[in-house]
Amino acid sequence: MSTRRQWLKILRGAQMMLFYLVVITLVFVIIGPVFFVVSLSFLSAREAYSYPLPLLPALTVRYQLTHGERGYMLSVYDRVEKEYIPVLDTDDLEKMATYMRSRLGTSVTVQDIEAQIARLQQEDPVYFTKRANLLHNYTTFFQITRDAVPSLIRSLQICALTILISLSIGGMAGYAFARYQFAGRDLLKFSALFVRMFPGIAIALPMVIILAKMGFYDRPIGLSLVYAVGNIALTVWITASIFMGIPESLEEAAEVFGATRLQAFLRITLPLALPGLAAAAMYAFLGAWNETVAALILTQFNPTFSVVVYQSLVGATGQINLAAAGGIVMAIPTVTFTYFIRRYIRQMWGGVTL
Amino acid sequence: MTAQRKSAHLGKRITPYLLVIPVFIYYLIFWVQPVLQQVIRSFLDPTTGQLSLESYRLVLTDPDFIPALRNTAIIVVISVTMEFFIALFLALIIKRDFWGASIFLFLAMLPMALPPVAVGAMWKTGLTTNGWLNSLLHYVGFLPEGEKIYWLAGSTWKMLALIIIIDAWQVIPSVMIILLAGLQNIPKELEEAGYVFGGNYFTVLRKITLPLLRPTIQTAVVLRLIAAIQIWLIVIVLVGFSRLPVLVERIVYYHEEVPRLNISPQMAAGYTMIVTVIVSLAALIYLRLSGAFSRREGG
Amino acid sequence: MNKRMTFALAAVLVVSLLAACAPKTVTVTVEVPVERTVEVEKTVEVPVEVPAKTLVLSSEMFAPPAEQEFFINEILKPFEEETGITVNFQVIKGEDMFDRVTVQQETGHVTTDLVLVFNGRFSWWTDAGYVLPLDEVVSEWTDRTILPAFDRNAVVDGTRYFVPISADVYLTIANNKALDYLPEGVDLNNLTYEQYADWAIAIAEGEGEGKVCVTGVPQKMWIYQFGSSALSYGLNPAGQPEPAFPNVNSEPSAAAWAMWARIGAANGFMPTVLNVDNCVDPLMREEAWLSVTHNARVGQVYASAEAQYTVAPAPSGPAGVGTIAGAHGIGIVKGTANYDAAVQLLEYLTRPEIQVKINKGTGGFIPVVAEALDYLGEDPTDEIIRKALLVLENGVTSYLPISDFQDWGAVKKVFDDVFQQMVLQGDGTVDQALLDEAQARLDALRVEQ
Repeated sequence: MSTRRQWLKILRGAQMMLFYLVVITLVFVIIGPVFFVVSLSFLSAREAYSYPLPLLPALTVRYQLTHGERGYMLSVYDRVEKEYIPVLDTDDLEKMATYMRSRLGTSVTVQDIEAQIARLQQEDPVYFTKRANLLHNYTTFFQITRDAVPSLIRSLQICALTILISLSIGGMAGYAFARYQFAGRDLLKFSALFVRMFPGIAIALPMVIILAKMGFYDRPIGLSLVYAVGNIALTVWITASIFMGIPESLEEAAEVFGATRLQAFLRITLPLALPGLAAAAMYAFLGAWNETVAALILTQFNPTFSVVVYQSLVGATGQINLAAAGGIVMAIPTVTFTYFIRRYIRQMWGGVTL
Repeated sequence: MTAQRKSAHLGKRITPYLLVIPVFIYYLIFWVQPVLQQVIRSFLDPTTGQLSLESYRLVLTDPDFIPALRNTAIIVVISVTMEFFIALFLALIIKRDFWGASIFLFLAMLPMALPPVAVGAMWKTGLTTNGWLNSLLHYVGFLPEGEKIYWLAGSTWKMLALIIIIDAWQVIPSVMIILLAGLQNIPKELEEAGYVFGGNYFTVLRKITLPLLRPTIQTAVVLRLIAAIQIWLIVIVLVGFSRLPVLVERIVYYHEEVPRLNISPQMAAGYTMIVTVIVSLAALIYLRLSGAFSRREGG
Repeated sequence: MNKRMTFALAAVLVVSLLAACAPKTVTVTVEVPVERTVEVEKTVEVPVEVPAKTLVLSSEMFAPPAEQEFFINEILKPFEEETGITVNFQVIKGEDMFDRVTVQQETGHVTTDLVLVFNGRFSWWTDAGYVLPLDEVVSEWTDRTILPAFDRNAVVDGTRYFVPISADVYLTIANNKALDYLPEGVDLNNLTYEQYADWAIAIAEGEGEGKVCVTGVPQKMWIYQFGSSALSYGLNPAGQPEPAFPNVNSEPSAAAWAMWARIGAANGFMPTVLNVDNCVDPLMREEAWLSVTHNARVGQVYASAEAQYTVAPAPSGPAGVGTIAGAHGIGIVKGTANYDAAVQLLEYLTRPEIQVKINKGTGGFIPVVAEALDYLGEDPTDEIIRKALLVLENGVTSYLPISDFQDWGAVKKVFDDVFQQMVLQGDGTVDQALLDEAQARLDALRVEQ
């Protein structure tokens, strides 16, 4: 008897182990690529184009300096080849300092280099080590990104407004489709979705021209209005399916106790529908945050954050580390939003007090 | 008394329309006009301005049309099925109350939270020959010194597989959160009752959970279906225009890559209409088959 | 839970309300220029007597972040200090810029004052009538001569609409690791295309992997890379008697195809060449060692580690060094409220000393003002510019006859398809039937003059 119980215990333990094994594997599949792009954003330009790519950025860079054909030859220690690789031969010390800053992420002044050159008289070549500035890509990104803060605030406003428009207008319709029987219900519900079936890319420009003619040129609200179009359709369907899952009897029960239909909705149904609303809000937020096509055309002095990032990075070929940093900066608000909204998406049954 | 009840009854009949109307007014103001323009354009001859089916003839005889249709179909069938099952699996895992579930949900949602810039940098450095995927394989000893895998060179099939996998990685969370939201509205008592009557996890899932989840599944799948048929960005990021034609990629191609070709406006309009018809039909058929319209109808 | 949720909802509401209010304050700054002026004066520091203005310069050039940084800090800032005019420099893709200005023109909100455009797209702007004539402006400059090489699309029916500010040609760049395979007795500065092919094949054999980079993704730069080689084999530049660029099936073109097909058959191209849309990344990752490409891209790679790369003029053929030459130029947008300030900026950017500064600092572009040549120094960057100028002066150069064709993207595609079918997947020989067929496709795209 007791051995059987022991066996059961072991079995359950094994099951648990297996479960966590699956979860951990999934975490690796999800996190792996994210880890690399985050790591990439801290690498120096030189590291970002080396192979094999380092998993983590180097904290220091080892240099070698000697006489060269044009002036002084600068070499950099390569962690993979395990030797010094010559990179720059110049007598322009300003250029050398800039190179060490922009390509290797080490802050070096002309005086520093002059000091090393002075040492060349005693020993040739000279070796020296500099600390790498891990935030180098981020500082560069903010240097070239004009109006980062105002555009960030503007983008957040646009997102909030988009969520508000889509959830209110779409949520109402979703509730109607879930709760009422009425003529043309299926047809209307289907046509609400039609907006997403028509390839938006084909009408982006004419739609934006209409907005501009209506006086929404270069105004955040104009973009919210554009973004809400697609999101309303989503919200209608998501909220409808969620409201359908909430037993109508709960509302009726509340009404029996004297609540009005509106009160019943606000106190009972809405809290239960929160996961669905959160999911719809998430869609709206991400869509509005990342969009550039309409934003590029419809803004000039009041660009969104996605537009200023686009402008900084559109030509960032050969600077993938910088693009990664820009991508990460852009991801901070969305990841934060995701972090907080997850509570509402996974809100366990019974979390509502009646 | 009866008058009052009548007005209450009328009110009840009007209410749903009042709730639905704002959506359609919104569409009417901001969306209908350009769409109608596009629809009309697809039926007109650009030079004479007369009614013509030339756009459709052009598209249907385009040598890229059949490959585009085929590639799109392959991507849609595989990715929608795969993404749905993986998303459902994830949602069911996260619904369980285990240590770290909440953080796991956050991590599972991460891919959808990343902006295109970050995702672009991720796969560009990942799949290139001297990229991080090969680096990683090299570090764990899977790739011997000097050997490399050419992820981006190879057959159409290989590229299709890559597109499907990368797309799945990013969109599974968006399917999952809808399913998860739906799962949480299923009263625990019902599932518990299932266990009490001797069901195991899978019978309860099949007999109780999934049927109750049906409206949510329909929403999640139909939204995904609509988006999957319109896939294009990931395709051109990986292989560029024209090498692996898909339907919406053709619209973008005629809009942006060869906008000045005489036939471009017609091609774009024709492809737009054909995509719209295909997406609507697919959505309609799916909703019909899954019974979305029969429920409560006439009830 | 309930409390938290209420709080969250309230927070969303408050933020949204804020957002809803925001547009009003924003419009004020847009619609009342006086307010903007005040803002601007604060940032300029130097007290200026002329009322300060903000110019918007949209550009599809200087997109790489390092170039943007240089252009803003080293070129535009001195201008702002000199004139009190603030310049809002915005990088944007050519297509997007055109769309944006289209919306501005159609709705009357002209907020973009100047556009810096690739000369291949000049005709979009002149055809649409979005840019103003500049003859009067240019005629007042007496101290500079704008090279006429790039007037082709900038001047329409005798009227100038664009002023070029920098030019580009094609150059050879090699990773120094490739130099070990350079056939004996070959001088990199006088390389022929046949030697280039031999070199590429030697590398592929020695390394077991092709190392030549061209852009295999359709509608990128292959047409120019091929076109440069065909010009070397005797193809006439555009505008001259046929066969002239772009051409697929003539004798010189076929000779060029044969050279490329030879590389293709020996697997001399990098294995993922069909996925390359720009040779900078592959060259920097050392997936590729060898390329003949646009001088700005060459400059970018070279600057990443000067001691690891070697730059040379484009290879030559029987007809000499052939290259496609392009330019970027500035136009003033019709309907601008800041015309005088825009003219001032244009004048500033074409000064010879500023020309040299711009083109040197942004890595490998070529000045387009004749007087600028006196300002070149001894730095490697100067050498690249000098080499490029040499090609521009002595080589067989062709402009892009974009307006002769319905759509340039479709023209590019013809060459991309031949590359894929014959060079990459072929057996190393020239399939004349395939070339003739491609030529027919190309000719069908010609517009009647």
